[in-house]
Amino acid sequence: MIKVTSLSKKFGDLEVLKDINFEVSQGEIIVIIGPSGTGKSTLLRCLNYLETPTSGLIHIGDVNIDASSHTAKEVTALRKQSSFVFQNYSLFANKTALQNVAESLITVWGVPKTEALAKSEAILIKVGLKDKLHIYPSQLSGGQQQRVGIARAMAAKGEVILFDEPTSALDPEWVDEVLAVMKQLAVERQTMIVVTHEMQFAKEVADTVIFMEDGYIVEQGSPQQIFENPQHQRTKAFVKRALKKGY
Amino acid sequence: MQSSFDFQYIIELMPILLKYLGVTMEMALWGFVFALILALGLALVRVFKITFIQHLVSLYISFFRGTPLLVQLFLLYYGFPQFMPIFVGMDAFTAAIIGLSLHFSAYMAESIRAAILGIDKSQMEACLSLGMTRFQAMKRVILPQASRVATPSLMNYFIDMIKSTSLAFTLGVVEIMAKAQMEASSSFKFFESFLAVAIVYWVVVIIFTRIQHLLEYKLNKAY
Ligand SMILES: Nc1ncnc2c1ncn2[C@@H]1O[C@H](COP(=O)(O)OP(=O)(O)O)[C@@H](O)[C@H]1O
Ligand SMILES: [Mg+2]
Repeated sequence: MIKVTSLSKKFGDLEVLKDINFEVSQGEIIVIIGPSGTGKSTLLRCLNYLETPTSGLIHIGDVNIDASSHTAKEVTALRKQSSFVFQNYSLFANKTALQNVAESLITVWGVPKTEALAKSEAILIKVGLKDKLHIYPSQLSGGQQQRVGIARAMAAKGEVILFDEPTSALDPEWVDEVLAVMKQLAVERQTMIVVTHEMQFAKEVADTVIFMEDGYIVEQGSPQQIFENPQHQRTKAFVKRALKKGY
Repeated sequence: MQSSFDFQYIIELMPILLKYLGVTMEMALWGFVFALILALGLALVRVFKITFIQHLVSLYISFFRGTPLLVQLFLLYYGFPQFMPIFVGMDAFTAAIIGLSLHFSAYMAESIRAAILGIDKSQMEACLSLGMTRFQAMKRVILPQASRVATPSLMNYFIDMIKSTSLAFTLGVVEIMAKAQMEASSSFKFFESFLAVAIVYWVVVIIFTRIQHLLEYKLNKAY
């Protein structure tokens, strides 16, 4: 359902992504791990064309897009195939929780307003925010804001939800409630690509773990393979450090 | 010769001046509306860095901020008709409104632009990631927030514009400044006449400053 071929990205002379190739099937949960500055965020952002790749092909759902010849129309079509959960939530400050979730249904998908609001309400109830529908982001805790962020991504009708370190900006007390929502999505087989330092989450939830370093995919495999029997020296070193730190 | 201060004259002059306050306020209001529309367009061109036009916009802003309003008004009203016939029939009132809007739009564009750039960029990205266009993102997420940020400084420009309408008398518009000037030259009570008109401006500005503060208070509570 998702296929990334020979993706690369340079910022000036800095080559941040180098020949990235991977595939994701419907309902698969991918977790990407790796040291910071390795290009994980850039990879997710390229999948959504928030960054334009330097070269490479991206295929999501029924959209094919080639970095060397992409049009604005293709970019919009690609973005409709996926939605993004940001590290710092990036909620619309001028909209209530409910309006945040309903926004894409109304403006992008043309769903009538009352229907969009009803749908959004149902999603917010699902992520445990029944009593926060009409609250503005500034009045919500970090954990609540990120759950709105996830609800907004769920509403967007995308094939896949991209998570960029969704719990990294949170105070420790809010981490679990956000992970719980993500686990629920995993149970429902929502296709997800998750960049995270939460190794426990990766072990429990991922179908496939991708280890990235220095712009390369070094190794990918099941959580068992990556955490218990890594093939590459660099994976071994990272996993050992990460598990010791107890992230 | 020193004449004594005639307080009674000021009292009598007030109703006469107030009759022309409408002209002053009409210029300020229309000037502000057009300036706002223009400024929004200019700001968007600069924010989106629309190729080519953005350089023209920079030039425009530089010119209207870099030259005196009075010079701009003269250029528009006395200068342009000489070689652009469509300006010949333009009355002074219209010319003043056009001049004020052009001048103030240059300043207002910069404060709108600053307000837009002050909104966290990640909200624009969030819009795009959902499949919204840049235009939709501007309209529904960025501008509503930017307008809140920009309102206090735009109100300042409005107040400044009220005061600047007094220059319109140099084009022959009969507003309160012109009326005060006329009364002064027929009564020879210059001090009283100009003091009277100063008081009118002052009170109007105090009223609008009060409105500005109420507005800011409301905006701060919104979300
Ligand atoms: N917009 C940008 N311009 C220039 N360099 C960037 C930009 N975004 C990221 N980088 C650089 O790309 C590298 C990878 O960044 P990132 O994808 O954020 O890594 P990660 O998410 O794995 O921590 C870093 O060296 C970072 O400094
Ligand atoms: Mg990152």
